[in-house]
Amino acid sequence: MSRRLALVIVLAARLAHADEAVTKTTAPPDMSDQGIGAELGIAAGGRVTAGGLRVAGHYLYKLSDQDFFDGVASFTYGGGSAACFRDRMNNFVCDHGLADGGTVEIGASVRRFFGGRDQFWPFARAGIGLAIVRFQDDGVTGLGIPVHLGGGVRAEVSDGVAIVGEGALDIGFGVFNHSLGLQPQVGVAITAGAEFRL
Amino acid sequence: MRYLALALALAACQNLDVSRDVGARCNLASDCNERCLTPSGDWPGGFCTITCDTAANCSSGTTCIDEQGGVCAFSCVADGDCTFLGAGYRCTAVDSHGAGTKVMVCRGG
Repeated sequence: MSRRLALVIVLAARLAHADEAVTKTTAPPDMSDQGIGAELGIAAGGRVTAGGLRVAGHYLYKLSDQDFFDGVASFTYGGGSAACFRDRMNNFVCDHGLADGGTVEIGASVRRFFGGRDQFWPFARAGIGLAIVRFQDDGVTGLGIPVHLGGGVRAEVSDGVAIVGEGALDIGFGVFNHSLGLQPQVGVAITAGAEFRL
Repeated sequence: MRYLALALALAACQNLDVSRDVGARCNLASDCNERCLTPSGDWPGGFCTITCDTAANCSSGTTCIDEQGGVCAFSCVADGDCTFLGAGYRCTAVDSHGAGTKVMVCRGG
């Protein structure tokens, strides 16, 4: 075998290995095993689902090449006035607006990356939470179990720092006082923030 | 998943013809946005309402009647229009407030 042929084989092997490395990278290369993040955004609810300004903190932990555990603590601050009353059937009902009430929530979810282009990495997120929902002016309080389904994009802006934007659909149930009992929870949220590698 | 769909469907069907402005049951003004016509033969179960000078002050489907200085009540044509308010409500002719005419509204008594 000539030296030239051997060189071609070695180069081809190196190129194939490099291609394999690119296609196997399914999470942003700047992410390490752990990270933290903070997000700010808006949430829309209605009736007995709280909405308003949303502030969230994230803790990320690498589970696999493309999956990260995403622990979330969030606060939703809404406004609004009393909007609950007894209807003519004597049922206690609430008709809150999109940005009324407040929520404190902790949740656990999984974020899956789908492979990125340049510094942009799309992902999907699914998880479940435990929330305390409160409508102050009506004295209505509930314990909610929302399921979060969403997605977004992560973009690296500098070494160890990335910005993230995401949207989510929140659906689930809440158990409330004032004879409201079990109520559906349906809301949407759009948030954006920054993440930092640990 | 089936329970979730059922709950969402029930929530969508929630009857909100009445509100804290007009029509909700009440015992106290704090049960309403403005005032409560307390439970009586005239207003079975109590009736949340708002003060008005003319019908223009009342929301769609309600009109201003000459009672307690002028309050909004649901307009009607026949007794059947008042069934959503529950037992005791009938379509009755009363004096309008600010117009000097008779109007038909849902009321007890």
